[in-house]
Amino acid sequence: MKSSFDKIYDALRSVKLAVVLLVLLALFAIAGGIVPQGRTADFYRLHYPGAGSDIILTLDLDHVFSSALFLLVAAVFALNLTICTFHRLTGEFSKPRGKRRHGPDILHVGLIVLMFGGILTARARTETAINLRRGESADLPDGSKIVLVDMHYEQYPDGRPKSWESTVEIHNGSSPAPAADAQHSARQFRVRVNSPLRLKGYSIYQQNWHNEKQVVLKDATGTSLALEPGARAATKEGFVLFMTLDDAAQANASAPEGPSAAFPQGAIFLLEDKGKRTVVRVFPGQSIGPFTFDGYIDQSVSGLAVVSDRGYPFVAAGFILVILGVFITYIRKLKGMLA
Amino acid sequence: MIATIAFGLLIVSLIIQIVYLFKKAGGQDGVSPWLSLAAGVLLLVEIVRRSIAIRFVALTGMFESLIFLACALAFLIFALRYFKSTKGNRVIPFGATIIALTFLALASSPLAPSEVKPPVPALQSGWLVLHVAFSFIGEVFFAVGFVSAILQLAAKSEEKRQEYDRVTYTSIAVGYPIFTAGALIFGAIWAEKAWGVWWSWDPKETWALITWLTYTAYLHFRLVRKSTSRLVPALVIIGFVIAMFTFFGVNFLLSGLHSYS
Repeated sequence: MKSSFDKIYDALRSVKLAVVLLVLLALFAIAGGIVPQGRTADFYRLHYPGAGSDIILTLDLDHVFSSALFLLVAAVFALNLTICTFHRLTGEFSKPRGKRRHGPDILHVGLIVLMFGGILTARARTETAINLRRGESADLPDGSKIVLVDMHYEQYPDGRPKSWESTVEIHNGSSPAPAADAQHSARQFRVRVNSPLRLKGYSIYQQNWHNEKQVVLKDATGTSLALEPGARAATKEGFVLFMTLDDAAQANASAPEGPSAAFPQGAIFLLEDKGKRTVVRVFPGQSIGPFTFDGYIDQSVSGLAVVSDRGYPFVAAGFILVILGVFITYIRKLKGMLA
Repeated sequence: MIATIAFGLLIVSLIIQIVYLFKKAGGQDGVSPWLSLAAGVLLLVEIVRRSIAIRFVALTGMFESLIFLACALAFLIFALRYFKSTKGNRVIPFGATIIALTFLALASSPLAPSEVKPPVPALQSGWLVLHVAFSFIGEVFFAVGFVSAILQLAAKSEEKRQEYDRVTYTSIAVGYPIFTAGALIFGAIWAEKAWGVWWSWDPKETWALITWLTYTAYLHFRLVRKSTSRLVPALVIIGFVIAMFTFFGVNFLLSGLHSYS
């Protein structure tokens, strides 16, 4: 006669339960694959009128993969997998050496490690987006600084991007990548799409690239000053802040031909003078506060992402174990097929 | 042009197979496997030609993916005559040839523009090549499993059902690790290198996971099922339909990180 504990243990390690959970996870994933995720309630009411949006919002189908029900099923699956793995492992070790089959054990342990790594990644991963122009710098998680030395953008003849890469310098606090890495010299590194810069505890990814129009202001001494949107120049009585190009200027800025400095359109500025703020549209050649609006320049902006992921080693280890386990488990089938 | 010749060879192969399907005497069709092999070689030549033109492995668009799928399946059709479980079977290569022809027909449709285009930066990765190649090689084994599972469901005798069950299981058992490595693991590694995130619940990723869960459920369900269960081969059929939806449906119906593929 089995005790209650034995019955629960057997139920939790059973393959039947695993099949039910796999099917449930697949059904959740289908719902998440069909219904757009993470939109506003109004989006669902607009696109799924009537009962459709009510069902989606009531059953949390707008965020399936973080819903309580999905996480519960995933947790029971993890429990099932862990108990099954423990049970199977102890059974295999009780067999004579030659008769042991550890492929499924390696695969299952790999999946457990992968899930652990996934949870760690979901909870502790951080990502910071930084946009740098040439010469600009930003702080990194370990206190060091990243400086954009140069950036390179190439297009195919049809206008599609061919490559974009940034040359960056890392100052203080972070050890450079291994010297064997041919992509850098001294403390300069190249970051390309698909080739992130790995540093101790975090990685830097080349995520995007764009051209930005900046306004050029000249002061009374003739010194030029370039401002990107949102940047300000201090004056004696306040500041001048470049808000945006006006619509006409933006339309012209996107035209592929023509020198950008020749745009006759205006730009919108916020001017603070003795505590009084006014929004003004200014055209090249006109004055804005103590400055003269001299025109526009094109500035390349490199979009980088700084990612710190404590789950990385576990996920990587999980992948290795899963690949090993799945091939060891089924490779003999291939032998059988070819025999 | 090369793909069209390969298509023609597979059509001839299909006609010969149909003739042999209706022949009552049990002779072995000695021509159609070689036509499949020739079609596979031609498609491989097309992949190499395009790869040289774009200076990268030509696996970065819908047309190239379909050519690769048809190529891998054509080679597998040829190999079926040498596999223990499929030797002498006429229906499985026939079904697989229809699937290979379907891939090529889709490749010639407006859905798959055939112009040669070098890849954008995100696609310039060795991991992408491994991801796509392994996924598709896994899927051609799933295609054979799909044909065999249909035959398993249609079989009238228990002996035939068991024979097809063995073919179905072997096909999935071989395709499953290759698909797992390609679609899930190499894909996740590529995503991490390109975007800094292993998994983002992008529609393509989600549907690839659904495919994997379905085949995983099949492999486990087969361990505990009754031998007469019709649900077991049905899971293989559903799995292949989902795999094809992941490939085509997601591209055209759901947008995401894989929209370019």
